[in-house]
Amino acid sequence: MSAEDSNPAATPTPCEDTQGDGRWMSLHNGFVSYSKDKEPDVLFVGDSLVQLMHQFGIWRQLFSPLHCLNFGVGGDATQHVLWRLSNGELDNISPKVVVLWVGTNNHGHTPEQICGGIMAIVQLIHNRLPNAHTLVLGLLPRGKMPNPLRERNAKVNKLVQDALSSLPHGSFLNVDPGFVLSDGSISHQDMYDYLHLTPHGYQAVCEPLHAHIKSLLEKPAEN
Amino acid sequence: MSGDDLNPAAVAQPVEDVHGDGRWLSQHTRFVQECKDGEPDVLFVGDSMVQLMQQHEVWRECFSPLHALNFGIGGDTTCNVLWRLKNGELENIRPKVVVLWVGTNNYAHTAEQVAGGVLVIAQLLTSHLPKAKIVVLSLLPRGERPNPLREKNAAVNKLLRSWLPRLGQAQFLDVNGEFVHSDGTISSQDMFDYLHLTPTGYRAVAKPLSDLLLQILEETPEERRASLV
Ligand SMILES: [Ca+2]
Repeated sequence: MSAEDSNPAATPTPCEDTQGDGRWMSLHNGFVSYSKDKEPDVLFVGDSLVQLMHQFGIWRQLFSPLHCLNFGVGGDATQHVLWRLSNGELDNISPKVVVLWVGTNNHGHTPEQICGGIMAIVQLIHNRLPNAHTLVLGLLPRGKMPNPLRERNAKVNKLVQDALSSLPHGSFLNVDPGFVLSDGSISHQDMYDYLHLTPHGYQAVCEPLHAHIKSLLEKPAEN
Repeated sequence: MSGDDLNPAAVAQPVEDVHGDGRWLSQHTRFVQECKDGEPDVLFVGDSMVQLMQQHEVWRECFSPLHALNFGIGGDTTCNVLWRLKNGELENIRPKVVVLWVGTNNYAHTAEQVAGGVLVIAQLLTSHLPKAKIVVLSLLPRGERPNPLREKNAAVNKLLRSWLPRLGQAQFLDVNGEFVHSDGTISSQDMFDYLHLTPTGYRAVAKPLSDLLLQILEETPEERRASLV
């Protein structure tokens, strides 16, 4: 436990309001109050990759019909998601599936720390929602050309996949349809800024994800 | 205007690659390449407000048909846009209109400095593109509730409204519409994170903007001169 205690990626931390417009806390408070009159079967939680999905047609097309809520906040790292989920975002709902997609913003953390942060979130979800299954999405490659953050994200994925394999209440899903082309580059047709997905990029990620979530919803609970 | 040299918001500066994936420079390099391949009539330049617009229907509906290029980069300040424009993003193109939308990310700068930075970009545009019209969009209010950044952005807008007409070819367009409700709140239906626009929010901005762009593009310089006589 002491290693985890000293892991900044696994220490619940609210996002500091450095800009002074209170947007992060507004979003968190909005999620908490919004969840009071909703009964979602699926909860998406994570960073901008989750949040922006909500802004495109693909969300209404594939996920709204499954009764999904979207608690994505741009810029969030694992420690921020951990804080949000410990402070009200899970209090009023009992989704059957939680889709977790976070970690690419954990700048300054090692792959082991980021994996520790993700697994701490999985554990927290299991404590709060013992019947829910957490589906952890693999971190996507980023940057137009090969770079250290791509390697870091790939390493996180490997660690998380290993850690989840022994847990009945969690699983890993690689949602990268092959964004890295044969010359090592990523196209702006898929990621407009080489990090965030275009509607076209979301299409490639969300269709298999949707099928996977549906199969989890149809499966009887493992507990 | 004598203080330009001292204005930190008017200093051209690239974004430092702190995260190590080189995304900012990759985007800039792509824009410079697009200048060589395209002949845009309209150039959009600015921060994420510009960039995200291209990801929505409204871009294909209202702006692609006008032969528009989008040089928006999330997080950019006036300094970063200035650097990009001085380093190739205006080479090889002759747009008739440039839409400039930047300044809400200038956290380290005062309202006067931000407005001064925007003005210096507008001046750079007019000197590179003497025949082009420059449309500067108002900085939007932000944050769910009233806060100092809303006041600062409003102060920037007030300065731009008074300064820009002096440039002749530049004009200010207020696109703030009705984003702030009577109780002082902004809705996540318009700005999903109380900063960035939803598709609904973009529609509210696109309407007055596309009306103005169509009007400018229809006016040939000759007709315009005649109408001013
Ligand atoms: Ca498992």
